[in-house]
Amino acid sequence: MTTTSQPPTPAFDDHHPPRAELVADCVHCGFCLPTCPTYALWGQEMDSPRGRIYLMETGLHGEPLSQSMVTHFDRCLGCMACVTACPSGVQYNRLIEDTRQQVERRHRRPLRERLLRAGIFGLFPYRGRLRLLRGPLRAYQASGLQRLVRRTGLLRKSPTLSTLEQLAPRLRRRERLAQRIPARGQRRAVVGMLTGCVQGAFFPDVNAATARVLAAEGCDVVIPRRQGCCGALSVHNGREAEAQRFAKDLMETFRDVDYVVVNAAGCGSSMKEYAALLDGDLKAAGFAAKVRDLSEVLIELGPVAPRGPVPATVAYHDACHLAHAQGIRAQPRALLGDIPELTVREIADPEICCGSAGVWNLFNPEPAAELGERKARNVLATGADLLVTANPGCLMQVSASVRRLGGRIQLAHIAQVLDASLNGRPLPTV
Amino acid sequence: MVDAVLDALPDLLRPAGSDDVVAGVPARYVAAPASTEQTAEVVRVAAAQDLAVVVRGAATKLDWGLPPRRLDLIIDTRRLSGVVEHAAGDLVAVVRAGTTMEELAAKLAPQQLAVDVPLAGATVGGTVAANASGPRRLLYGTARDLLIGVTVVRPDGVVARSGGKVVKNVAGYDLGKLMTGSSGTLGLVTECVFRLHPLPPATAVVVRRVDTVCEAGILVTSVRRSQVVPSAVEVNAPPDGGVELAVLLEGTPAGVEQRAAGTQALLDGEVLPEPPDWWGGYPWQPGDIGMKAGVSLSRVPEALTAARAAAERYDVSVTVRGSAGAGVLYVGLLGATPPEVVTGLLDELRAICEHAVVLTAPPLVRDRVDVWGPVSGLGLMRRVKEQFDPDARFAPGRFVGGI
Amino acid sequence: MSASVESSTSVQGSAATPVIQALATRLRSDIGGERVISDRQELRTYECDGLAHYRVTPALVALPQDTAQCAAVVTACAEAGVPFVARGSGTGLSGGALPHAEGVLIVTSQMRRMIDVAPDDERAVVEPGVINLQVTRAAEPYGYYYAPDPSSQQVCSIGGNVAENSGGAHCLKYGFTANHVTGLTVVAPDGEVVELGGRAPDAPGYDLVGAFVGSEGTLGVATEVTVRLTRAPEAVRTLLAAFRTIDEAGAATSAIIAAGVVPAAVEMMDALAIEAAEAAVACGYPAGAGAVLIVELDGPEPEVVAQFDQVERLCRDTGAFEIRIAADDAERALFWKGRKSAFAAVGRVSPDYIVQDGVIPRTALPDVLRRIDRLSVESGIRVANVFHAGDGNLHPLVLFDETVDGEAERAEAVSGAILDLCIEYGGSITGEHGVGVDKARYMLRMFTDDDLDTMQLLRCAFDPDGLSNPGKVFPTPRLCGEVPGRRKGVHPLQESGVAEVF
Repeated sequence: MTTTSQPPTPAFDDHHPPRAELVADCVHCGFCLPTCPTYALWGQEMDSPRGRIYLMETGLHGEPLSQSMVTHFDRCLGCMACVTACPSGVQYNRLIEDTRQQVERRHRRPLRERLLRAGIFGLFPYRGRLRLLRGPLRAYQASGLQRLVRRTGLLRKSPTLSTLEQLAPRLRRRERLAQRIPARGQRRAVVGMLTGCVQGAFFPDVNAATARVLAAEGCDVVIPRRQGCCGALSVHNGREAEAQRFAKDLMETFRDVDYVVVNAAGCGSSMKEYAALLDGDLKAAGFAAKVRDLSEVLIELGPVAPRGPVPATVAYHDACHLAHAQGIRAQPRALLGDIPELTVREIADPEICCGSAGVWNLFNPEPAAELGERKARNVLATGADLLVTANPGCLMQVSASVRRLGGRIQLAHIAQVLDASLNGRPLPTV
Repeated sequence: MVDAVLDALPDLLRPAGSDDVVAGVPARYVAAPASTEQTAEVVRVAAAQDLAVVVRGAATKLDWGLPPRRLDLIIDTRRLSGVVEHAAGDLVAVVRAGTTMEELAAKLAPQQLAVDVPLAGATVGGTVAANASGPRRLLYGTARDLLIGVTVVRPDGVVARSGGKVVKNVAGYDLGKLMTGSSGTLGLVTECVFRLHPLPPATAVVVRRVDTVCEAGILVTSVRRSQVVPSAVEVNAPPDGGVELAVLLEGTPAGVEQRAAGTQALLDGEVLPEPPDWWGGYPWQPGDIGMKAGVSLSRVPEALTAARAAAERYDVSVTVRGSAGAGVLYVGLLGATPPEVVTGLLDELRAICEHAVVLTAPPLVRDRVDVWGPVSGLGLMRRVKEQFDPDARFAPGRFVGGI
Repeated sequence: MSASVESSTSVQGSAATPVIQALATRLRSDIGGERVISDRQELRTYECDGLAHYRVTPALVALPQDTAQCAAVVTACAEAGVPFVARGSGTGLSGGALPHAEGVLIVTSQMRRMIDVAPDDERAVVEPGVINLQVTRAAEPYGYYYAPDPSSQQVCSIGGNVAENSGGAHCLKYGFTANHVTGLTVVAPDGEVVELGGRAPDAPGYDLVGAFVGSEGTLGVATEVTVRLTRAPEAVRTLLAAFRTIDEAGAATSAIIAAGVVPAAVEMMDALAIEAAEAAVACGYPAGAGAVLIVELDGPEPEVVAQFDQVERLCRDTGAFEIRIAADDAERALFWKGRKSAFAAVGRVSPDYIVQDGVIPRTALPDVLRRIDRLSVESGIRVANVFHAGDGNLHPLVLFDETVDGEAERAEAVSGAILDLCIEYGGSITGEHGVGVDKARYMLRMFTDDDLDTMQLLRCAFDPDGLSNPGKVFPTPRLCGEVPGRRKGVHPLQESGVAEVF
């Protein structure tokens, strides 16, 4: 090490390095540590937000982008719990996104990793490709092949494959959505609805419920058939150019609406950040200002549809990209609280991520499983019979974890609970 | 006759008299310095002349511990007296070690040093050196918790301070805590700074008499779990049976009245204006055997029961009294109790309590029982002693492990 | 300053010495390779604790899992003659956990088992990496809590609290860590595991628990801590009083104490601190306040009711123009949120700042604040004041901009002058943050050589070789075995170049 005559290449180049003035906002108080899922798991400084910011700082001062440094950046789930916890207002979200695009451009990953990433990024942001999976997956789940494969031990050899296999929800027949659903009663707003890649492919019922709830609350719901990915996965994984392309396309898709309503937390939080992604583009800022999470828009509009009773005890799980990234905590609780005969229970350590984090659980299956089980234990401890959240990733992750623990709990997206109350639909039975 | 020691400090030293004896060991000289500087002078002479020293205040607890291995000089602190400063607005007082606790209380009213005095006439220094305490330790803690600054004359005569005159202070080691309860083996405390409390405007005592110690133990637990916030929860179990539980409440007149009523209901007891006469005193007389046990709270009922059972089994007279709510029990036996009985009782106590020590006992008993019992961390304690008093001249042999 | 090493921008590896290499090998085999860190970039994330002003890269980091592993690490260090420094969550504000460049940083963040929660004994036994607030969370279901509550309670570790004798807003009534720790398992600097104290009070022998708490890691590493659990109060009532001036708020504090009331907490913030807190957490304190006072009373309902009216009246009598009374837990939390986030929040109104920690007798508050104000005017350096007014513990936040020439030096000077004021008024240079590396040089202003030598006697009893967190607390190391108080000439360590004098 000491024999190096030439200083190694510094970690970051001039294209959007993590900004020194944002790094300097961190006063090293450590308030972020207990809310960070990787610090909760391993208790090591470099796997905490404070440690990662410190690594960025050393990178800005000339430390190279070594494999060890990249590992600690990669391990960040991007849950943004630290942003909520930070009293100094450090914009860790900006810092890690800038860092990630530097890593993606400048760091050569080992072959195995490259292949895995290519596979995942070639699949998830594309609804068409995800839908193609539905058929074989349903067949796999239905045919008994699933039990057979589970017995072979094949899954033990590939943790990522095993994670995918466990995560996949049981699929049902898909309901085809109309392109425009008229408001029930007086029209109060015209809203565009994002159907989402994973939501659209794996949880079509949630989209149908979302549309019915919006209509019941007086919205004309516009659902463009040809909508693409919002770019969340790409931006969270440093694939900047790809994310920009997705963003531009999506903005074109939704025009002439009052709001763009999103029922997947991760998508909503990325869409609200389009201005930053597209370098402060004004049109993007205008678009971002119209983006709303489902709960957010329902509270903004105020209730008009009568609420029917839903006799259930529910545990509400804060999706990170809803609670931390968008600051939406009160709205879903208020909506649930207004439903007659429904009791809401709080989950312990609500700020800690369930380990889903987009596709993080596919790249980091073992720690993701550990985080999922921690979350599942806290969920089961509430004694609730229904787990409600607002993100497809969390639903898949927590349900897989609950199953692994041998526990039983029903799962629903908040749209489905509202659908039950507003439209008298049955709650899903998973 | 020429005496090098007396000649060194003729004004401060005198030959010892017949009363100048520590646990049966006579001294040769007595010094009575009136200031920290004079104390340091005396101690330096003692160091130069290799004199073994025992510090004496009002001598209320001078018979505690083991006899000194050797003894030349008694340093009497009673001239080191008076309140140096009472900063009432800051709830702090600076007090010389020889001041009696009663004198201090009179000076501080309407504030107080919230440490009870089990033996009348005790000095501040003696209270600190023995870490003596009484019922209200439950609420206020003991001397270690209230001592915020200390001036010490080290065995080599160097004067050192630690802490200060403010309650909140973490600069440097807290030597006050080290000195508290060190039985004068590490040096001589000449001045103490204490955190004070306001005297409560109102007090009440709720007393309940029960038949068995076990019942008393259960009631103690219920008081601790309640919301009455007692200043003290004491039990007294005299040898002739019958157990009394007394709860002290302090606060505003209105508050105390309501809390007393609540406690009365909880205990099915009666409210008294004054504590019972046994309150705050040790359950033994001069010449008796006195023990102290520290027990975790959940095992207080067990400890009370075991002491009572042992008394019946050995057919001896045993009184148990103490701060059941804090896990501190005192056990008194008649001086004539055979040593093997004392040992038996100690063993039983030690099996339940974390520790049990003999504070005072007649020589015949003291010399034949293990007065301290097992002491955890003794190796480190010896090293502390070696650092402060490498020649082992301060109260040699009186403390744990022969320190 | 010898211990202050500014952030190095060098990309060269600090080549491990053969001693360190051998130690690393031994530690890997003793406690497992994944628990020993030697990668330079990873080591660098441990360069500083909560006081980022001082930075030293440790030679190694070890993360033991339990007492036995910690003892193995310390034993290995002792046998190799390598210094070690213990660190918990790394939130200390005096550089107490600043690593030693040739030493091992023992991080307790993986020792976070709650060994026993025993409400029947009113005790909990925890490992040092357990977070302060988690003890309260664990005790709450039984109706108990852990009383010491430093502002960083959601992140600071119990081990760190023990090292620093941490206080908090409520120590006015409930005391400090030292009053709430009854037992310790300690790995002494020679590697021996020693049990001190226990669950019961008044263990025979010297009060080494009392001596250890607050010794800032210089007497060994605590690996199990027995703490008191306090019965959760029946009633808690909190008021927020806004005053036009600091003097009025100070007068209110004095009046409350003089009336014989011992509140659970009396906290004060001045206008600048309020501004920062508003920017950070939007706590919504009354507009136009020159100072706010948070007064909290707790205890039995009838006592709290009786005293609360008194406190409210005293605040009005001394000039409060608005008094808010927390209606529920959420509102109380909002009152406290502004106060508890004040330190970090100052980052919103100033690029750089120093958090000072000094103590004065409470009655000197108005005088000292006027003097601080004068210092601020004279130097052009802004000072925001946050303090535990009930016990005279000041936390002036000295604001500056490092990019402005000379401002950092002037801020440093103001910060130091504030400590001199504390000493002048008979107070202390630290109420709760500790001496660490930051204030070692001030110790001689507060204590004599003899005082410090006497403290060193305790140090030498525990750590004769000076391996446990060397360079902290004391301005000049003294070799154990030297005759105390008779040092002449140049210090042997200094002469040999091992240590520099500050």
